[in-house]
Amino acid sequence: MMDQLLEILEDINPDNDYMAEDKLIDNGLLDSLSLLTLVSELEDAFGIEITPTDLIPANFNSAAAMWEMVQRLQEADK
Amino acid sequence: MQYNSLLYLLVFLPVVMLLYQLLPQKHRWKLLLAASYVFFFLLSRKLIIYLLFSTGCMHYIGLWLNTCDRDLEDFRGAEDFHTQKELTARKKRGILWLGVAAQIGVLLLLKYFNFVSGNLNILLSKMSLSFTFPTLKLSVPIGISFFTMQAVSYIVDVYKKKTPADRNLWRLALYMAFFPSIMEGPICRYSETAEALYAGERLTYHNITFGSQRIVWGLFKKVVLADRLSPLVELVFSKYTQYGGITVLLGAICYTLQLYADFSGCIDMTIGTAEMFGVRLPENFRQPFFSRTASEFWRRWHITLGAWFKDYIFYPLSLTKWIKSMGKKARLKFGRHVGPVIQTIVPLLAVWLSNGIWHGTGWNYIFFGLYYFVLILTGNLLEPLIGKSTDLLHVSRKSIGWRAIQTVKMFCIIVTGELFFKAASLAAGFAMIKSIFTAFDLSALSNGSLLNLNLSVKDFLVVAVGYLVVLAVGIVHEKGIHIRQQVGSWPLALRWSFYYAAVLLVFIFGAYGGSYAPVDPLYASF
Repeated sequence: MMDQLLEILEDINPDNDYMAEDKLIDNGLLDSLSLLTLVSELEDAFGIEITPTDLIPANFNSAAAMWEMVQRLQEADK
Repeated sequence: MQYNSLLYLLVFLPVVMLLYQLLPQKHRWKLLLAASYVFFFLLSRKLIIYLLFSTGCMHYIGLWLNTCDRDLEDFRGAEDFHTQKELTARKKRGILWLGVAAQIGVLLLLKYFNFVSGNLNILLSKMSLSFTFPTLKLSVPIGISFFTMQAVSYIVDVYKKKTPADRNLWRLALYMAFFPSIMEGPICRYSETAEALYAGERLTYHNITFGSQRIVWGLFKKVVLADRLSPLVELVFSKYTQYGGITVLLGAICYTLQLYADFSGCIDMTIGTAEMFGVRLPENFRQPFFSRTASEFWRRWHITLGAWFKDYIFYPLSLTKWIKSMGKKARLKFGRHVGPVIQTIVPLLAVWLSNGIWHGTGWNYIFFGLYYFVLILTGNLLEPLIGKSTDLLHVSRKSIGWRAIQTVKMFCIIVTGELFFKAASLAAGFAMIKSIFTAFDLSALSNGSLLNLNLSVKDFLVVAVGYLVVLAVGIVHEKGIHIRQQVGSWPLALRWSFYYAAVLLVFIFGAYGGSYAPVDPLYASF
């Protein structure tokens, strides 16, 4: 599943090192357009709904944080 | 009493600092609150009522939202919990909109009622209708655009449970009225600044020296540079019909530089003052003229306003169901680049229209907002095309040449925007732009006419050297070097010589007294 997340990220912007980077938002490596694409892809791939409340840097600064958010939202939907 | 006045710097601030230090830690925030209200009352007199209303309203709305969440907890585990949850969500949405409407409603009423009624009256008279909308005599309190944004962000954050509702009205009042930032921001978030405001941290040598340095740097930008350019800017923009070509262009460039030095200088003073009390306020500028695109410019200029619009308008709108569904359809039809761009059209339009309206009353402000909407949307849309073109031409987008061209292009875009921003009206803005081209004459550079614009050769020289210093500091900051920390590590004698020299420079080269009229902080009127 994490692989699927990394694949989505690579598709959106292959220039970033998603395994190492932990300031994707703070350092401007993911802009608002990429973020909107990412939200849409994550919703489709993992069957979750991401709301504006979830759209905070802490949830998108690293692949690990994103994965944590995905799992949390999947749990909440159950 | 402005931030750059002697009364503020030599009387108000030192007295507040002295009393602050004398008080026990737990009472210090109360002194900051009292000082903030005295400061605001001296500036706004009876208009303080708007600040009181805004604060009282956000406090009540916050508590109401909190009560809803608490009441819902009583149903946890009950059979109808999900029904209650939905009812609570609906009720909370209603309370949220009520709170936001009350805050924004007052702002719009004060700033836009007469503009709207005036324009409607023009329309009615063109339709030969005798009905007219009234115009009201309204006074707008200083800083309302800033504290309203803070109030809205607090209400939304409590609604989203990002921050708990503060039960203490007076503590909230301090967050809203903190005197260094009440006039021009930066626009703070409750979750980031409130804690430090109430902490009552004692004054330390480090905080006082570092804060003072920032204040002196702000004074330099405001008093030496911005205020010195003011007479030229006011002359060109008020008598724009008498000028054209290079003179108007010079006026627009000088206004852009003046606005930057004025606003960022006042923000330096604000951040420096807060720093002395151990309060860290968010940065509002990050070398904006180094920007290469319009989006980047707004991530470097008035950062807290851009972040506010992004967090409270752009993302919430982008993630509404119908816009997300539109985005998905657009992605399927137009691909992975154009699709998301289409998804952002409505949110971006809302952001930039709000940005224009927030800045002031007039069609030129609305045009200013829409100008950046078109620029950013076009930039996003053309991005892949530009990438392909540069690849085809073997031009590296990381090369110094390309970056320099982009920076110069962006500077021209900024100057054009600011010209409309400052112009007396939209028509005046267009007339000025037209006159730059129709009356362009290089002889203005040599016939001495530029020296008849209220600025002497000495003034031009001080301004040129001063902005070179600002540029040099910007380059150093861009490299991630903290000048104040560097200076702080120098030997005592050298360090204090530097401090005294900086203060002396402001005193010697400051544009005050004599023929210089005092200039109020430019953004305080927005």
